[in-house]
Amino acid sequence: MTETLTTERREVSADTEALYELSLEGRWGDGVPLLAATDDRVLARLSATEYPPDYVVGVRPPMHGGATVELVASNATMAGCEPKAFPLVLAALEAILAPEFNAFGLTTTTSSVFPMLIANGPCRDELQIDYRAGCMGGAAGRGSMTIGRAVSLCLRNIGGQRAGETSRTVFGQPSRFGLCFGEWEERSPWPSLAARQGYRTDENVVSVHGGKGTFPLADINNDDPRDLLYLIAKSLAFPLSNMFLGGTGENGEVVIAINPIWADRFAVPFPGIESLQQFLWEHAWQPIDLWPAANQEILRGKERVDDQGRVHLGRRPDQFIPVVCGGLGSLHAVALPSFGESQLQSARAVAP
Amino acid sequence: MSIATTDPATITIRMPVAPVADVAGAPAFVLDAPLPGRKIGLRTDLAWRSWQLIAGLWAESLRGAGAEPVEIMTAAQVGKEGTHDRENIDAWSDQIDAGIVGLGTCGSCTSFSVHDAVTLESHRKPSIVVVASEFETHARNMARFLGHPDLKVLVLPYPLEARPEDELRTIASDYYPQALSLLGGHE
Repeated sequence: MTETLTTERREVSADTEALYELSLEGRWGDGVPLLAATDDRVLARLSATEYPPDYVVGVRPPMHGGATVELVASNATMAGCEPKAFPLVLAALEAILAPEFNAFGLTTTTSSVFPMLIANGPCRDELQIDYRAGCMGGAAGRGSMTIGRAVSLCLRNIGGQRAGETSRTVFGQPSRFGLCFGEWEERSPWPSLAARQGYRTDENVVSVHGGKGTFPLADINNDDPRDLLYLIAKSLAFPLSNMFLGGTGENGEVVIAINPIWADRFAVPFPGIESLQQFLWEHAWQPIDLWPAANQEILRGKERVDDQGRVHLGRRPDQFIPVVCGGLGSLHAVALPSFGESQLQSARAVAP
Repeated sequence: MSIATTDPATITIRMPVAPVADVAGAPAFVLDAPLPGRKIGLRTDLAWRSWQLIAGLWAESLRGAGAEPVEIMTAAQVGKEGTHDRENIDAWSDQIDAGIVGLGTCGSCTSFSVHDAVTLESHRKPSIVVVASEFETHARNMARFLGHPDLKVLVLPYPLEARPEDELRTIASDYYPQALSLLGGHE
């Protein structure tokens, strides 16, 4: 089987610390110790997909490196991905390459934006993708920690994305190491994110969202769920959001991670997800006089101000994407604000 | 499955880095013609007001030299607006004799400025991409990655945003001859 592999081989010290040093020197690591991509490990990942090793998943910006399945398997191995998680990595890369995700812009921007992965389906439990307490960090499920990292390594080693060089990101963000969490579908009163994209609930689906960071929201004062959702909408429409920078507000989305307790409360006045999204859109605006005069002129020039002096964050309710996840401690939500020039994409993981 | 090694203290690994394709670069076209009667494109971006001012002044200068400036503004990278912008750039490329594309003064806007200048070149129209100095290397990298390593790059001072208008007017005046020279237009 080894003869099916064609990527460059290198004989290195078997010492794990030496391998780590080598990855730092060669700049093909992410600054953290990694597993050696030995042939048997790479082949194990390859056996988890129907794609042949030389199949090109896509040409990855910014350097337009060809992402062969074999190269992806080497990076997934280094990240510590289980072989059975490999199809999800491939699916995430396919989703990232969809034109409307705008990998060309995302990988080179000054923004902190990075593909954030949201998993749906049985894979969440099978692969230990966190969707309950600490799902965005701290829960330490193997899938969460390694699938996002594998994708990140692919962007670095195959796409050539490197901060300060091909990527002009000013700050970056912790998620650039890799962020992957699941939706707590069983606690969601609404159809899952994947179901809303047209997938079946028994399919393993990964969605990629160009998120700028994790923006925390908290509340202990509102008994009325409509009041609480109103304040979430207002918080999403913060004045320096990228979505206010865009021309018309047509582009960009914001993912709103809602804890299961709040989801139950919201489901009473908003039994349909569309009504929830409509409410968020209707209230995610700020009065034009919130901004200084110079900004007002620009927003007016872009025709972002309606006849009542409101500047809406987006143009459509579907730009607000609720996802139910997180612990049962309630009290918190997390917004994942968008880069603006990117649209969430989903893809199904295909296993043999 | 065994790992082929020559020394028990070593292992053999597969390198995870994609080789950079070694492809010949596309040619960069030069106008090499007098300006009078030529249609010179000026591509601006909704985001950058400094560049809108400079491009507007260059349009006046071009008009004064007998050329016909054909201005176009982009606003988005994706969605309906982004698709519309790229279609317009494609159509604009057919209408003009040469083009000046800007502004690269952020990561993705530099990438897309280079992209749109490359669109012009692929229509065999001479083009230059205008960037602020902080993004010069990025612009040259992106041009190389898109197969146009010789794409002409005009480098303006950085930062341009938040400069007083009189400074921007001076920059426009100072760099206009360089823009013409790179483009190959003769007054």
